[in-house]
Amino acid sequence: MSFNRRSFLKFSGAGLAAAVAPQLAFAKAGKPHVVVVGAGYGGATCAKYLRMWDPNIQVTLIEPNAQFYSCPMSNWVIGGMRSMDDIIKSYANLPGYGIKMVQDTAVGVDANKRVVTTGKGKKISYDRLVLSPGVEFMTDQIEGFDEGEAAGKVLHAWKAGPQTLSLRKQLEAMPDGGVFVIGSPPPPGRCVSGPYERASLVAQYFKRNKPKSKIIMLDGHFDVVSKGPMFKAAWKKFYPGIIEHRPYNLVTKVDHNSMIVTSEFEDVKADVINIVPKQRAGAICAAAGVRTDSAGVWCPVNGVTYESPTVPFVHILGDSVASNMPKSAHVSNNQAKICAAALVEMFNGREPNPYPVIGSTSYSATSDETSGPIAVVMRYDPDKEAYIRQPGGGAADVSDELNFAYNLSWFENIWADTFG
Amino acid sequence: MTTKYLFACAAGTALILSALPSLATDAPLVAAKSKPCLIAGWEQSAHTCVIHTKTIAATCFICHGPNGKSTGAVPSLAGQDKEYLAAAMRDFKSGKRDSTVMKKYALGYSDSEYDDLAAFFAAIK
Repeated sequence: MSFNRRSFLKFSGAGLAAAVAPQLAFAKAGKPHVVVVGAGYGGATCAKYLRMWDPNIQVTLIEPNAQFYSCPMSNWVIGGMRSMDDIIKSYANLPGYGIKMVQDTAVGVDANKRVVTTGKGKKISYDRLVLSPGVEFMTDQIEGFDEGEAAGKVLHAWKAGPQTLSLRKQLEAMPDGGVFVIGSPPPPGRCVSGPYERASLVAQYFKRNKPKSKIIMLDGHFDVVSKGPMFKAAWKKFYPGIIEHRPYNLVTKVDHNSMIVTSEFEDVKADVINIVPKQRAGAICAAAGVRTDSAGVWCPVNGVTYESPTVPFVHILGDSVASNMPKSAHVSNNQAKICAAALVEMFNGREPNPYPVIGSTSYSATSDETSGPIAVVMRYDPDKEAYIRQPGGGAADVSDELNFAYNLSWFENIWADTFG
Repeated sequence: MTTKYLFACAAGTALILSALPSLATDAPLVAAKSKPCLIAGWEQSAHTCVIHTKTIAATCFICHGPNGKSTGAVPSLAGQDKEYLAAAMRDFKSGKRDSTVMKKYALGYSDSEYDDLAAFFAAIK
């Protein structure tokens, strides 16, 4: 036979074997309905490709925001290189693919009845549910964070949106000679290279406008863990004396009155405070019962279908997934396509491709004319039930102008692919 | 059986094309691929091969634009010569051609995947 059935049976999720036959019957009787939660790089892409690859599938996309704020490029706003308008993307094209947009928040899932409940009290039935909610922050692990955030003095700006603009304004209002503290958690979390890009672009702003100012990075990890040589070379060359990176320095406490940030080792007085807390899969994942890794933080998935191994008919995409894949826009978009392709096969009574491949490319800017990439290909191995990193992947050692042009191009093309 | 499905798929795609904007079509793939293939060393049905190529091509869309039509500095792949595209991947892999990220990608795919991706993008007008 032309199929490695042993492997297929091994990786097929709880819902797959049971689901193919009924779904086939359903597909003949009517149109299968997929509800997607979250219109970001994962959810919007999944909704769009489901409709493009099989117009027989009905797709409802639940998203609370009227428009999308892109995390990629949001550091460029914080560094003063771009405006908020540049990172806002419209959802206006998505209904043109036949996607039903529901502006609401998914708050509950009845996995037995296969119904999603929304904040406005709607109940929406699904044949398959795709959760792509992004992360939520474990702010309770940092004493004083919630109070500081409520007072507008402690920002994460790790979801693009109002906090992106607030952080930019605080940096603009900061006097020359001030100290900007960035606290970042150890991986896994959203966009591991992001704090280092943020430090680079704020350093550029300080160098040009407030040259006596400093950036202190309190890093929960042991080193500049993503694109390390590239960032370190850029900081030394472009911003000598501005960025001080302090590893093994997880932030544990913040006092927004005294503006003291406390780590496992020291107290630092700050003028502007930006702390990225540890993260976990979005709340709807807990509501659906799929946030089931050993720490109860991320969502394990079947690598072929992205279905939860414990809750049938519920699939998870993007930053919420428990895996060795980077939590990046690129990976979310790519996972969405693999999930969409698998769902199309399953709804049509066929077995999905057992050997999906994920590509991950992420660019970070180090100035307003230099960027550098990291890229890796990961291939799913059904016997190991894991995505295996292929040899040769990794980050560039230096940032340069050619990669800055490619970085700009990456934004335009992923936005067109996801929302266009 | 397989051939019948492929024709049905192609016909269906043609119909949808008129209804949806910038549709990623199966038609070029179906034309290019009608035999079983090897993925990760296992022989797969022609249909699975079509799906595999469609999905890995959609990875390329992220940097090279939807359907390989780029609006930025990264080059478009749509409508490029098939032999040129496959040769580019081989040259990225060997290092004969300089690249920023493409060598890392070329190392992650097989020679037959280069050919299938090249055929996919060459067929897009």
